[in-house]
Amino acid sequence: MSDNGKLPRFEAVVLVHLDAAYNLARWLTRDPAGAEDAVQDACLRAFRFFDQLQGPSAKAWFMAVVRHACYDWLQKRRAGAGDEPFDETLHTAGAAESLEATAVRESDARWVREGIAALPREYREVLVLRDLEELSYKEISAIVEVPIGTVMSRLSRGRDLLQQRLTQARQMHERKRT
Amino acid sequence: MNCARLQQVLDAHIDGELDRATSGEIRAHLAGCAACAALHANRSALRDAVRAHAPRHAAPAALTTAIHRSLARAGKPPRAREIMAGHRPSWLHAAVFACVAALAGLMAGYWLAQPRPDHPLREPAVAAHVTALASGKQLIQIASTDRHTVKPWFQGKVDFAPPVKDLAGEGFVLSGGRLDQVADKPAAAIVYQIRQHTINLFVWRSTDRTPDAITATSERGFSVVTWAADGLRFAAVSDVDGRDLTRFARLMAAT
Repeated sequence: MSDNGKLPRFEAVVLVHLDAAYNLARWLTRDPAGAEDAVQDACLRAFRFFDQLQGPSAKAWFMAVVRHACYDWLQKRRAGAGDEPFDETLHTAGAAESLEATAVRESDARWVREGIAALPREYREVLVLRDLEELSYKEISAIVEVPIGTVMSRLSRGRDLLQQRLTQARQMHERKRT
Repeated sequence: MNCARLQQVLDAHIDGELDRATSGEIRAHLAGCAACAALHANRSALRDAVRAHAPRHAAPAALTTAIHRSLARAGKPPRAREIMAGHRPSWLHAAVFACVAALAGLMAGYWLAQPRPDHPLREPAVAAHVTALASGKQLIQIASTDRHTVKPWFQGKVDFAPPVKDLAGEGFVLSGGRLDQVADKPAAAIVYQIRQHTINLFVWRSTDRTPDAITATSERGFSVVTWAADGLRFAAVSDVDGRDLTRFARLMAAT
């Protein structure tokens, strides 16, 4: 295939999923600039290996490339700095106080966002791929490179954790109000 | 189905990933077990909360621009590619130097290089409609009036999510779906009934993302209504009156 034909085809088949790619990268890196770097990197990689694209779902293939780019970005950053300081700060008293400032009707939305962001990465990625990107277990299994049964159990476990955290946040909120 | 087993597969059930028989067993159990029904309600509420509140981040415009620019360079002969590999400009850098004129030229190039709209595929859609009706039982592979059963059935079978709507209130009763082909393209066929008429709604993916307005025509005496949105192409085919089919198309296309 000539390069002339490759780029428009790449646009039509892969780049239409750019929003999905960026969304996954945002949730995985939890860093806007990091997400942009990872997606940029993933697009170049995907373009290079575009001729090897196989299987029915270009989206799943591209998402797998994006996921790898995110993991590379995280590893590079971890080598340079501390290990993801973001997690622990979320559920400290400080975070709870700022929760208090949020209007009650917005609280749930915020807890959901923070709850997902605070999930361990292996649960976070399957949850985002399933509930935000609406991919099938089969596609997720291909992206994350684990059997479908593992996708199922990680989703279950991830939702258990998220549900626990939401319940805790609501209870803490109630206690503070009374 | 006992409670322990149900809890293992509850998420897969909510995600529409189980076969009909198992989902049927689950529904039967839920109807008779308050504890499991409560778990199910909690889980559904959680999923709704995630979908309602977790933002789906869209790629910033600057990133999109930068990527198009990098790819245009990456697609060039080896010399340019070596420079890229050794010293990849950051997207910011790229964005700052993005040349508007070159980009406009590039976009025009893409536009011209895009395959033309794959409408009219009216005749192939009519052919698929006739074939499906002739073979009787082929018409429906997943039989259900519940859109939450029909839509998930397509997961993993086609690489897009065809819209499935409940239009029973408007007289269009969902009867199921099947996999089909329109001119060799894999298509989802969603089957509705209105009065005694069968409507086949064919949905397939198109490389041309330009939206297309609802257009009603007839072909071999069948009404055919086509439109395009969201990178998907739609063709509704039926022997029902063209006005009814256009009304159906408007309801399906409404967001």
